[in-house]
Parts: sequence; structure tokens; C-alpha cells
Amino acid sequence: MPTKNLSFKPERKKKRAAELSIANKELVFQTGEKKKRAAELIIADKELAFQNEEKEKRAAELIVANYARSLIEASRDPLVTISNEGKITDMNKAFANITEMTHEKLTGTDFFDYFTDSQKAREVYQEVFAKGFVVDYPLTIRDGKLTDVLFNGSVYKDEKGNVLGAVVVARDVTEQKRIEKEMLEAKVFAELATAIAEEEKSKAQSAALIAENAVKAKQQFLSNMSHEIRTPMNAIIGFTKVVLKTDLSAKQKEYLTAIKMSGDALIVLINDILDLAKVDAGKMLFEQTPFKMALSISAMLHLFETKIQEKNLELVKEYDNKIPEVLVGDPVRLHQIILNLVSNAVKFTTEGKITVSVRLLNEDEEKATIEFAVTDTGIGIAESKLEDIFETFRQATSGTSRIYGGTGLGLSIVKQLVEPQGGSINVKSKIGKGSTFSFKLSFLKTKAEAELETEVVELDTEIKNIKVLVVEDIALNQLLMKTLLDDFGFERDIATNGKIAIEKLQNKSYDIILMDLQMPEMNGFEATEYIRNKMNSKIPIIALTADVTTVDLAKCKAVGMNDYIAKPVDERILYSKILGLVKKPVIIKTDEHKENGNGKSKKSKCIDLDYLIHRTKSDPTLMMEMISLYLEQTPPLISAMKKSLHDKDWKLLYAAVHKMIPSFSIMGISTDFENMAKQVQEYASTQLQTDGIPALVLQLEDVCAQACMELQEEFNMIKNTKNEK
Amino acid sequence: MKNENKIKLFLVDDDAVFLKSLEMEFLQHADFAIETYATGELCMENLSHSPDVIILDYLLDGIDKNAMNGIETLDKIKAYNPDIPVVMLSGQDKIDVAINCMHHRAFDYVVKSETAFIRLQKIITTIFRYQKMEKELNWYMERM
Repeated sequence: MPTKNLSFKPERKKKRAAELSIANKELVFQTGEKKKRAAELIIADKELAFQNEEKEKRAAELIVANYARSLIEASRDPLVTISNEGKITDMNKAFANITEMTHEKLTGTDFFDYFTDSQKAREVYQEVFAKGFVVDYPLTIRDGKLTDVLFNGSVYKDEKGNVLGAVVVARDVTEQKRIEKEMLEAKVFAELATAIAEEEKSKAQSAALIAENAVKAKQQFLSNMSHEIRTPMNAIIGFTKVVLKTDLSAKQKEYLTAIKMSGDALIVLINDILDLAKVDAGKMLFEQTPFKMALSISAMLHLFETKIQEKNLELVKEYDNKIPEVLVGDPVRLHQIILNLVSNAVKFTTEGKITVSVRLLNEDEEKATIEFAVTDTGIGIAESKLEDIFETFRQATSGTSRIYGGTGLGLSIVKQLVEPQGGSINVKSKIGKGSTFSFKLSFLKTKAEAELETEVVELDTEIKNIKVLVVEDIALNQLLMKTLLDDFGFERDIATNGKIAIEKLQNKSYDIILMDLQMPEMNGFEATEYIRNKMNSKIPIIALTADVTTVDLAKCKAVGMNDYIAKPVDERILYSKILGLVKKPVIIKTDEHKENGNGKSKKSKCIDLDYLIHRTKSDPTLMMEMISLYLEQTPPLISAMKKSLHDKDWKLLYAAVHKMIPSFSIMGISTDFENMAKQVQEYASTQLQTDGIPALVLQLEDVCAQACMELQEEFNMIKNTKNEK
Repeated sequence: MKNENKIKLFLVDDDAVFLKSLEMEFLQHADFAIETYATGELCMENLSHSPDVIILDYLLDGIDKNAMNGIETLDKIKAYNPDIPVVMLSGQDKIDVAINCMHHRAFDYVVKSETAFIRLQKIITTIFRYQKMEKELNWYMERM
């Protein structure tokens, strides 16, 4: 069928062509459209690509920004940005944490509200914007803990340099603050402590000073007190001695002896204390004088003889004869050492013996070393105590002083006397067996003569008419010296000071001067100097000193004194020294005097018939009767007394003496003898101090014998006169 | 002894001197008939002489140990006749001696001294006054 369709075909063809051309036209249009579209697409593509690029750029930026943010967020330091108006625009987590608020709540609030001092916070903000930055501005965040922070901040700007706001970093300085505070406190404490320490130091220093002063004061006090005590003690002891020589009952004598013994003990103690004080003060000086060792030792031991006999001990002296006769040293100190040791030995020994040995250890050209040892058979000392006994106020046992007395000063003094002289002291002891104290001392040898040591001369009341000038300012001592010298039968004058003494010397001649050293106006040294140099007098002068240890004996000698006597004055020493110095002229005088004395004593009788004459009313018969009765009765009594003493028949002795007593007063025999007899009675009845009896009995015997003789004479005389009548 | 009315004293002491001086004093100061004895034994032997007062030394056996002592003598005197007043004499001034004497019925106790005589004299006076009073009392008592 295509032809059939031909009829139609041209038309249709035409239509078709028209249609075709339209289609073509359409196509063309469509193609144009398409092209337009494609171009548009390309543009869109470009746009897209650009946009993509942009996006990528953004993303990269975002990553960077996120990173920075995360860094900021990670910071432990609170960070906050504020706007020009002071509003918070952003902050990191640390800030949110510290203020305990959320990000959202914080944003847009006032920066200042979060600080304790908002004014200051405002200043920070003003400063940041004014200066562009702020460094280490301290603020306190008003959080729960009031955290102290330091603000560092600066403004930030956009690209064009416009200030957008400020970023402020707060550094939490709590820790630093705390440390600082602690440091500060520590510093304050340290300062305080330093101040206290300094104060303490000065306190300690002043305390040390006080202590030092106190020690000095103590020594001074001891020294002064000892001096002060010694002066009255001298008087007490001196007068006790004087009273002891007067008529006393046995009881009184006993009491006075007790006073004297206590006084002596006290003096020893005081001297000990003084010595110790001196040792402490380094004032202990040792003399270097030539002396005879053997003599010195035996003279000293002589002092102990009675004591040792009393205790029924034996004293053994072992003296090495190889020891040079004269040695140079300090005999006074040596005495003191041995005296202390021996008196300890005597004190602690009840039976056995005390051995004092002096041995020459070695000897060379210059010096001799000598070992002195005192051995006793006493109570001994425990091994553990041997160290202590040389310490001041120490005794081997606390009970020692209770039982044996003493202060524990002796040995410490011994040690302090031995050691400064270059010696050493040793002790060996066994409890219950005894002790040996030994010390070694070196003495220089010398060819010089030893100074004459005055031997103690027994009182010889025959030697009289020695004129003594006593120069002494203390009234009590004056009186004491007066009494003593009167007892010796010496003439004496008293001068209260050196000046008066010199005046007296110019007007009167004296045989000897006893010179106290410490006196007002003119002291002993000055006076002696004057006497020796201005008056050119060689009169013997003896220094009287309360303190031999401190007084410079050399000074005494230098001014020309002949000797010294330590107070309390021992009358025998005083007597011997006076005699020793006045010796030669005295001997001649004495001889004459003795004759006088004898003549006198013929006249003075032991009996006195006044009482008898009075009683008998001078009836010669009665008197003769009485006398003959006495003459009859007495000899048997004397023999009974002697016999009983010999037999130690105390009862008989008592009775015999008892019988004698009444006749003493009848015959006018001195009450001295009556007292003596009473004393014998008392000793006999108590059987104490029996060793004192023989001497008394002897005296009684003597006086009775004399009385008998005298009465016989009287008897004959009465008989004769009666007969004459 | 010339007069029987004289008061008779016995002085007993072995201290002859003291005895004599005491005798002397009594003779001088008062009119007494005095007999002196050196021992207690002698005194006892002569008690028949009927002394009015005995002055007796306390220590009679001092020298002679076998002699009778004062207290023994005192006891014997009292045994012989408790009415004889005895005054003890002693050289000792001791309370216990005095008390001992009193326990043995001594009338008094006197210490030998210068005042002994005066005391003895007073004591003797007292003794007689006392004896007189006693006699008077007895006389009145009898009357009653």
C-alpha cells in the first residue's frame, strides 16, 4: 500500500515536509537550548568547584580552629575573653570549672562579678584595654575556695587592627600563695626563732655571767664569812683556853673542853673552806723555803701523840735517812697534807697502828723526790668509792660523816695541795683492812740553812719580865692577848694601831712586838717598815695573822718581820716564839729572876691557917690538935691514893681523894687542889679520861706533902710559942 | 658530960680532921656533950651512952674496905633504937645518895662544906623542936 497512500502522499508529503521543517526548526531550537544548558552547567560546575574549594578551605580552617580551641580548653589555666563592655564572650573549661558555672551561663555575664574585689577586676579590664596588655595582675576568684590568681591578658584584634576584645589568662597561684604564705610564715617563724635564740643566747650569756659572778661571790662570801667567823672564833677559843686554866669543877672543865674541841673543829673547817676557796680562785700559793724535813715531820706527828694514845693506837714513823736534811718547799702545806691524812687515819682507825713513812724515791743534782705514805689499819674504803673520796664534800659512804664526823673536805684539800705542787696522790685500800694514802712530791735541794723552826717550849712561868707590845685593833683580841701574856707573866702594852705602836715605841723600850696585820690608820706592814727603816730598830716583830694562807708571808719577811703566828693563837707557840726571839737577853735576866722567884715561893705557902685560926679562935691547943690530926691522917691517904691508882682500884681512889677534900678547906689549901681532887673523883667514878688522873694525883700528892711539911712547921711554931707563953 | 642535961651528940666520921673541926665548932657554938667515933663499929659499941642525935658520915668504908659503911651503921642504929635521929654527912652532893639516906630513915642529909656546921646546927634545933612537939602532942593525946 504505499501508492494508495500516494494520493494522499503529496499532500501528506507536503504536510510532512512542513512538519519536518517544523521539527527541524524545533530541533535546532532544542539544540540551541541544549547548548545553553551545557554552558550553564559548566558555570555551575565551576561554581561548584569553587564552592568545593571554598568548603575544603573552610574545613581546613575549622580543623585548625578546633585544634587551637582544644588546646585552649585543655589549659588548666582559666582563660576568658571579654568584650569591650566587660562582658564575658568566651571562656575555657578551666574557667567554667573554677567558677563552677556552665559555659552558657557564663557567656555574656559581667567579668567583674567573679572576683572578690570587683573594683580591682574592673581595673584589670580597663588596663587591658588601655595598655593593650596586663601582666601578673593579682585577683581572687570568688569561687568556693577563693582561688588566688594572677591575670595575664592582652587585647585581640581583627585583621584590620580593630580591638575585638581581651583575652585574659588567670594563673591559679593558690599553691604558690600557699607556699609563699608558708614561706612567709616560716620566715616569720625563723625570724622569731632567731630572735628567741638570740634572746636565749644573751640570756645564757648573762646567766653565765651571773653564774660566774655567783661563783666569785660564793668564794668571796666563803672567804669573807670564814674571816668573819674566824675572828669571833678566835676569841671564843682563846678565852675558853683562858677559862680552862682557872679553877673549875670537873664538870665545868668537861664542858669547856667540849667548847674548845668544837671550836677547834670549826676553825679547822673554816680553814678548809678558805683553802678550797683559794684553790678554786687559783690563789693558792706555795712557798719555797728551805726547811728540815725530818724535824718538820716529827714535830707535826708530835701533835697526834695524845690523840693516838687516847685511842690506844700505835704510831709508827719510818723515815728514810737518805733524804737530804734541808729541802726547799712549802713546809706549811706539807704539814697540812700530812695532818689531814694522819687525822683521817686516826679518825677511821679504832685499833692497830698508823704508819707514816717518808721514803726517798730518787735524787739528782737538783731535786729529791720523796714519797710520803700514811697507812692505817682502819675501816678501809670500798674499791668503787676510791675515785670519789677526793671530791669536795665526799666521803666514802654517806654514813661516814654520821659515824666519824667530818665534812669530806680534807682529802679534796689534800689533792688540791699535792697536785699544784707537781705531785700525785694515790690510795690503796681494803675494806676492814685499812688504807694507804701516799703522795709524791719533789723538793729542790739547797745548801742554804733551814730557817729555825721554833720548837715548842713547854710553858715555863719562871721566865718573866719580857716587855711585849701588842699591836691589835680588835678589842676582843686585845683582851685575849692581854690574858695570855699576863698568864705568861709578861709585861704587856696594847696599841690599837701602827701609829700608836710607834708612839709607844718612842717612849718606852720593849723586848718584842706582836703585830696584827690588818689595822686602821697604819697597818702592820707599814708600821714594821717604819720601825725598821725610820727608827732603825731591830726589835723582834711577830706578825699576828688570822689567815696564814692568804697573807703573803714573803711580804711579812720583806718588811722585816721576824716571824708570824696564826690566829687562833696557840699559847704554847706564842710562848715559844716570843722566847725564841727574845731568848738571849732573857736567859741572863731569867737567872736573876729565878732566884727572886724561889725566894718568893718560900714565902708563899700552899696552906693558909686563917680559917683554922678563925675556927679555933686562935686556941693553940685546938690548932695543934687539928694539925696533928691532919698530919696523922694525910700520909696514909696519900699512900692509899697512890696505891689505888697503881692498882687501878677506882673505888678506893675515889674514897681516898674523897677523904682528902674536906681538909683542904680547913687547912686553907687552894681550891685549885680541891677541884683537882673532885676531878679525880669524877674521873674515878665515871672511869672516863682515866689517863688524866695520874698527873692530877701527882699534883695532889705534891700539895699534900707540902702541906704536911708546912703544917709540921706551923705545928712546931705554935708549940714553941705556946711553950714560951 | 659534966651536965647530964646536956644534949649528947655522936659524931661519926673516919676523917679525923673534919671530925675534929666539927667537934670544935659544936663545942664553941653550943653546949653539947660530944662523943666522936672514927668508925661505925665504935659508934655502935657506944650506943648505950644514949646519944640524942647522931651525925654520921656516909662513906665510912672508904679506906678500910672491911669497915661498916654509913648506911649499914644507920640501919643498925635504927634497929637499936629507931627514935635516935641520925643526920647523914657526906662529901658528895648527890641526889641519889641523899635519897638513899632518907630511905634508910636518916633525919636529914648534909653535904660537907663550910656551911655544914650551920646546917647541922639548924637541923639539931629542928630535931629538938620536933621532938618537943611530938612529946607535947603525946601528952595531949594521952589527956584526951
